[in-house]
Amino acid sequence: MNPITPIMNGLKITLSHMFKKPITLQYPDERPKVAERFRGLHALNVSHDKAKCVACYLCPTVCPAKCITVEAGEDQNHDKFAAKYEIDMLRCIFCGYCVEACPVDAIRMTKEFELANYRREDFVYSKERLLEKK
Amino acid sequence: MVNLTIDDKQVTAPKTATIYEAAKLNGINIPILCHDNKLKPFGACRMCLVEVEQMKGRQIPACTTPVTEGMIILTSTPDIVKARKMVLELLLLNHPIDCPVCDKGGDCDLQNLTYEYKVSANRFTDEKFHHEIDYNNPLIERDMNRCVLCGKCARICDEIVSFGALTFIDRGIETKIGCEFEGALNCEFCGSCVSVCPVGSLLARPFKFKSRFWALTKQKTVCGYCGTGCNLTLGVKDNKVLTTIYDDNQGFHKGQLCVRGRFGYQFINSDKRLAKPLIRRGNSLVESSWDEALELVAGRLKSGNVAALATPRLANEEIVLFKKLMELSGSKDYDHSAGYAHSALTEGFAKSLGATASPSTILDIQKSDLLLVVKTDAYETHPVVGFEINMAVKNKGVKLYILSDKRGKLARLPDAKTLLHTPGNEIALINAVAKTILDEKLAGASAGSVEGFVELEKGLSAFTPELVSAQCGLTADEIKQLARAYAAAEKPLIIFPVGLAYPGHNAEMASALANLAILTGKLGVEGSGILCMSEKNNSQGAVDMGFYPEAGAKNAIQILDGCASGAVKTLFVAGENPLVSYPDQTRVRNALEKVDFLVVSDLFLTETAAMADVVLPACSFAEKEGTFTAIDRRVQHFKPAIQKIGQSRSDFEIFSTLITLLGGRAPVSPAAVFAEIAAGVPGYESMNYATLGETGQFAKVAIKPVFNSVSLTASKAESGKMALVTGSALYHCGTLSQYGEGPMHVCPEGYLEISRTDAANMKVGNDDLLTVTSASGSAKLKARVSPRMPVGVVFSPYHFSDSSVNQFWSGAAVTWVTLAK
Repeated sequence: MNPITPIMNGLKITLSHMFKKPITLQYPDERPKVAERFRGLHALNVSHDKAKCVACYLCPTVCPAKCITVEAGEDQNHDKFAAKYEIDMLRCIFCGYCVEACPVDAIRMTKEFELANYRREDFVYSKERLLEKK
Repeated sequence: MVNLTIDDKQVTAPKTATIYEAAKLNGINIPILCHDNKLKPFGACRMCLVEVEQMKGRQIPACTTPVTEGMIILTSTPDIVKARKMVLELLLLNHPIDCPVCDKGGDCDLQNLTYEYKVSANRFTDEKFHHEIDYNNPLIERDMNRCVLCGKCARICDEIVSFGALTFIDRGIETKIGCEFEGALNCEFCGSCVSVCPVGSLLARPFKFKSRFWALTKQKTVCGYCGTGCNLTLGVKDNKVLTTIYDDNQGFHKGQLCVRGRFGYQFINSDKRLAKPLIRRGNSLVESSWDEALELVAGRLKSGNVAALATPRLANEEIVLFKKLMELSGSKDYDHSAGYAHSALTEGFAKSLGATASPSTILDIQKSDLLLVVKTDAYETHPVVGFEINMAVKNKGVKLYILSDKRGKLARLPDAKTLLHTPGNEIALINAVAKTILDEKLAGASAGSVEGFVELEKGLSAFTPELVSAQCGLTADEIKQLARAYAAAEKPLIIFPVGLAYPGHNAEMASALANLAILTGKLGVEGSGILCMSEKNNSQGAVDMGFYPEAGAKNAIQILDGCASGAVKTLFVAGENPLVSYPDQTRVRNALEKVDFLVVSDLFLTETAAMADVVLPACSFAEKEGTFTAIDRRVQHFKPAIQKIGQSRSDFEIFSTLITLLGGRAPVSPAAVFAEIAAGVPGYESMNYATLGETGQFAKVAIKPVFNSVSLTASKAESGKMALVTGSALYHCGTLSQYGEGPMHVCPEGYLEISRTDAANMKVGNDDLLTVTSASGSAKLKARVSPRMPVGVVFSPYHFSDSSVNQFWSGAAVTWVTLAK
């Protein structure tokens, strides 16, 4: 084989890219398009101005990373609610089992992926931070 | 035994077994909702349907059908599975599917069976129930919408607890479980109904929403309240004891517990627990380090004139170490339980039976044919023994005779004969029974040859039934009938409680009762004999370990007097709260104030600890290991369920560090101490710490009966005054249960039980404050008008720090008091 051929082939590929749309995103000026079933930060669903979560403890039970802490409380109507609901994002592996396990559709995963923070404790999301934003 | 075939497997089962029991015995599991080990077969749920070939393939309930020879049984044919699925569908028709918020989820029989039989859809539709849910009770929540009508709660309350708080009310589709007239639950709150409920209809409120069943670590242990020695399973999460878990295979009582065992565990993780040692500086107690506190204590122990009081809640190993510590500091003055609560064993039985333990066991109750119970309080002091008595009387037809100064739960059992006597006359009454047995020649053949017979005959001469009956407020016939019934019974068993609140149940009473058993020869045969029920979880152990003064040494009361007079310079109190639980508060307070140096090791800053110079934070039974000896000398091993709270240390660690500081050699572990116990304590010879297990082993009791004639006259009635008798409340044990939330929900304060007639005469109603005055002091207590009290007699429990009984009770069996509004 002519020793020039592979070089020419390579240059051909390089040249062809000059006429294609660039793959690199100019983040943060450009935003990625997140897939429909992307598993990002969790959100607690709200209904009637209250978190839907009934503190059944199925998500902490099923969680393989043991990153969910739930503590149940009793409200005035003697119903069960999550007095404490915390997810440690440093431990979370974004498997989505918590969403699958939930019997009352109280938790979902959003497209939010920008989870960087300066302090470790800021990675532990409390119930207030997890409640869905409207 | 009969032979039968279950699922092509050749098995044998006892003649009396049902198909369900036979299958279970042979490892074949038949699904069921309405069955419990302890209850009679009922056949409510229809889940246990099986096919028996001899019955032409008809489906019959396994739980109510007795086995017969040659039965061929199939437990899971496609037809049976189909029928069971149908049963589940019908149950789920009205059952709210609220498993996510139901606390029973994960431990629910209905949920488990639905899962097992894959019932994911329902062919039928119907409306769910809309019964009102009872949230008002602090201990038991009742949600009848979830009920599957298995009837276990109603049956356990009737068959075992004998209270009958719950029953089926209404009929047909409207049927539900409820209380009389659909009222609120007002019962003993033992929680037996909660423990057997297969669904989430009855829930323990203290545990509500605390954790899921599967997240709990289950630790088997031994209950730390009374001397019955019930086995217990603690549910632990995040180093907290959150609940007690029911296990119907545990212990002689098959998981059955009383209110304090089931609902009184909160003291373990109480916020009031001491976390650091405290040292007195000036007028206040200041937190310090262990090293400083222990150096200080060791210094005082070295300087002599030391005495010790211990609670019989300590483990055997700890008691042995405490004794060693006292010997190292050159003291022989140590005691427990105010010095008299153990005298029935250490003096009474020691003299009469030549042993410091009861020759009978709790298991004998079911094998007996006549029970003679001294005081109805036996139920209140040891409720699970009370359940055994209930079952013996109701299921086995065992005759029940009660000598008591007040009526009570036991007196209401079917055919129970209660000899209601005036307070303080127990011994005269027992002697009169013995006298009748002698006079009517009902004594056993060998009685004459027992040592002391002649003296007994002479000693009893004054106790003719006629004389005694007049003194006791009974008729001579009643006494004679009891004597005849006792002598005629093949296996009669005598049961009597002892404890801090029962000073009348002393050495003399133990001897008088022993005389009765020896006289008729009803001793040493299974099912008969005499059972002394000591109060605390290790009272018998403290006696076995010899933690009471030898001849010449000071007993508890003398130790306190020594503190007051200056003879005792340093007093080490381990776990006791004498200021509340010992008689005569003024005397105790004076002693504790006068003593130079007071060391208290306790879980809480009790009234006694608040007066101390050094307070050492000890830990509860759930944080340490060791052995407890129950009333019938059942030695049981318990293990820690949680890590120690704060910086608290077990008494074992405290005593061994002090022994080292005093220059002695401390054993390395409880196991090493138990090896010493097994080598040295009679009856414990064959025991091995490693193989003891939580079911435990009985220490043998070798007896040598001797007659010991006793006579004790009751204190004379003072005219115009009421007879006060002290005792135990059903919901409490000692002063520890004050820190358990469950007992405090149902019985939060001291009270004075007074008869209806007296209350009417004084125009007193429930909860009216009464000033009780005796020769030794006075206090205000709330009145509780009760049908069980005889006229002229009042009763008060002793457990409470606020308005404690010992302000006006100086330790007499009967205190004469005046009441004023």
